[in-house]
Amino acid sequence: MFESRIMVIFLLAWRGLRQYAFSSFVAAFTISMAGGLFLSTWKIKEEAQKAFVNSSGGFDAVLGARGSKLQLVLNGLFHLEASPGNLTWEQYELIRDTRGVKEAYPIAVGDNYRGFRLVGTLPTLFTEHQWKQGRNYEVRQGGRIFTDNAKEALVGDFAARKLGLTVGSQFHPYHGLDFDETKRHEDLYVVVGLLEPTGTPADKVIWIPIKGIQQMEGHDPAAAQSVSAVLLSLRGAAGFQLDMRYNKRGNQATLAWPVAATLASFFERLSWFEEILSLVAFLVAFIGALIIFATLRTVMNEKKREFAILRCLGASRMVVTFVVLSQSLLLAVFGALGSLLAYGGIGFLAARLIREQTGVVIEHLSIDLAYHFFLPVVLAIGLVSGLAPALQAYRSSLSDNLSPRS
Amino acid sequence: MSCLEVRNLLKSFPSPDGGASLVVEVEKFSLRPEAQCAMKGESGSGKTTFLHLLAGILKPDEGEVILDGLEVTQLSESERDRLRATSIGYVFQSFNLLQGFTSLENIQLAMTFSGRSNLASHLRSDKTWAKQLLDRVGLSDRLDYYPRQLSVGQQQRVALARALANRPKLVLADEPTGNLDPQNAAKALSLLADLCRENGSSLLLVSHEDKVIDAFDRQLSWEEVNRSSGATEV
Repeated sequence: MFESRIMVIFLLAWRGLRQYAFSSFVAAFTISMAGGLFLSTWKIKEEAQKAFVNSSGGFDAVLGARGSKLQLVLNGLFHLEASPGNLTWEQYELIRDTRGVKEAYPIAVGDNYRGFRLVGTLPTLFTEHQWKQGRNYEVRQGGRIFTDNAKEALVGDFAARKLGLTVGSQFHPYHGLDFDETKRHEDLYVVVGLLEPTGTPADKVIWIPIKGIQQMEGHDPAAAQSVSAVLLSLRGAAGFQLDMRYNKRGNQATLAWPVAATLASFFERLSWFEEILSLVAFLVAFIGALIIFATLRTVMNEKKREFAILRCLGASRMVVTFVVLSQSLLLAVFGALGSLLAYGGIGFLAARLIREQTGVVIEHLSIDLAYHFFLPVVLAIGLVSGLAPALQAYRSSLSDNLSPRS
Repeated sequence: MSCLEVRNLLKSFPSPDGGASLVVEVEKFSLRPEAQCAMKGESGSGKTTFLHLLAGILKPDEGEVILDGLEVTQLSESERDRLRATSIGYVFQSFNLLQGFTSLENIQLAMTFSGRSNLASHLRSDKTWAKQLLDRVGLSDRLDYYPRQLSVGQQQRVALARALANRPKLVLADEPTGNLDPQNAAKALSLLADLCRENGSSLLLVSHEDKVIDAFDRQLSWEEVNRSSGATEV
C-alpha cells in the first residue's frame, strides 16, 4: 500500500474518513438517498411506461362507451378503474365485422372475487389471440379454457396465487369492482384452468364467459345484451378510419387508439409528481453536498495538525490537498454506489407495488443513465464539495499547526 | 566540513502593538557531522522557531541555513519538503504520530515522502528497515498497534524510530521528553543518542529542563547562541 504516492494519498484519505466514520457515513448516505431518488424519478417512470405499453395484451385499440380514452384503456386492458359505460351487443358486432378489424373481443366487467376482478369474454381470446407477438395464452397442465355458457372460470396466475385457487375450486362472485362481502351473488363458479404467467394485467384477472357477467343473478336484465368494451387488433389503416368514425364524426362510442399514445398521455399527467420528486431529489443532493462540505470542514479543522505532521515528514502541499479531494471523491463514490443500491431498493418496491396494483411487470430497471450521466455528476458534486476544504488544506500554515511557538 | 551551518539568521513575528518582535537572531552556528548537542532555553524564547528555520518549515527574514552543503533558505517550498523528507528527522514533544496508522505504518509513511518507496526493490528493504527500527526501540511486538493502544513512552519510541527512518543527516528534537515521566525520559534520551550515533546522524536537541540537557556531553545555552555576537561551533 506504500508502493506509490497515489496509493498513499488514497490510504491517507481512507484512514481519515475511517476516523470520522459516522460523519462520513451520514455524508455518503445522504448522497445515496439523493442519487437513489434521482434515478428512481427518472427511470422508474420511463421503465413503467415501457412496461405498460408492452403489457397492453397485444391489442391496438379499445372501443367503449363515450368518454375518456384513458379510462377505456385502463379499464379494458389494465383492469383498473370503472367502466365508463356500456356498448350494445350490436355495436360489438358492427365493429367485429368492420373491414380492417383483425380481432374483436368483447369484455364485460362488474363483479369481483375478493377484490380480484371477474372479466367476461369469449373463450377464443385464449385460443386465437396472441397477447404478445408469437405468444398465445397457455393453460397450466390439468386445466382447460372455460366453455361458453358454463359457470366456469380461468384464473390468471397472480390472482390464483393470491386467492389460493386451484383447478376444481369453487367460488361465489361478489357484485361490484370492490370487494364487499355483503354483495355475494348466488351463482357458483368452478375453476377449470389456471393461466401460465404472462407478466401482463391478465394475470390478476378471473376470466369467465361473457354471458356469465351478462346474466349474473341480480344484474340488470338490460346488461344481458351489453358489453363494457371491445378489445381490438387492427390491420393497416383501420385505426384512422375507425378514429374518424367513432371519435370525429360519431357520438355513440369512443375509440382509444393507439393505445401507446393514450398511455403516454397518462404518464404525462404524472409529470407533476415527477417534478416534485425531482425537486426533492435536488434538495437532498444539495444537502448531501453540504454535508460532504461540512464533514470535510470538520475533518479539516481537526486534521490541521495531522496534515502539518505530514508536511513535516516531507509531504508537499499538493499531497495534502489531494488527500482532502480524495476524501470527497471517496464519499462521492460510496454515495454513488449507495445510490444504485437505493435505486434498486426503491425500484424493487415500486415494481412490486405496480405489479400488485396493475399486474404489469417491470422486468428490470436499467442503469444505463448511471453509466453515462449519473456517476460523473455525483463524482463532480463530491469533488466540488471538497474544493473549499482542499483549498483550506493547501493554504494551511505548516508552522502554525505543527506546534506552538516556544 | 559542517553538517549544518547557520549565518546571520533573523526571524521576527508581528507583535500585537503593530511592530515586529525579533525572535531569532543567530550570527553563526554550526554542527559537525555526527555531533550531538543539547541546547537549553526558556519556554517562549524562540527555540522551536529556530528548529523550524533549520528544517525549512519557516523561512527566515534574513540569513542562511546550509544543510550538508545545500542552502536551505534558497530552496523552493517543494524542495524544502523534499529535503525534510530525505535529510531531516524531527522529534516532537507531543510525538505527533498519525493516529489512524499503526506503529509500522507511521514509519513506512515517513519513508514514502523521501521517494525511497517509489522503487519496489527499495520497498522490501524499507519495510524490513522499519521493522528493524521498531525492534531497535523495543517495540517489535507492537508493529500493528495504533498510537492509542501504546503507552506514552512507547509512542515516543515510535516517534524516535520514525525520525530515523530515512537515515537523516540531521535529527532535530524539540523537548522530546516533555510528556514523559523521568524513567521513560531517561530511556528515550539514551535511545535517541544511540540511534543517531548508529545511523551517523547529527543531533540538535532543545529543552528547558536541566536534567535533559545534562544527559549530553555537549551543552549549549540558547541565550548564548541567540542574540550574541560571535560564533557557536559544535
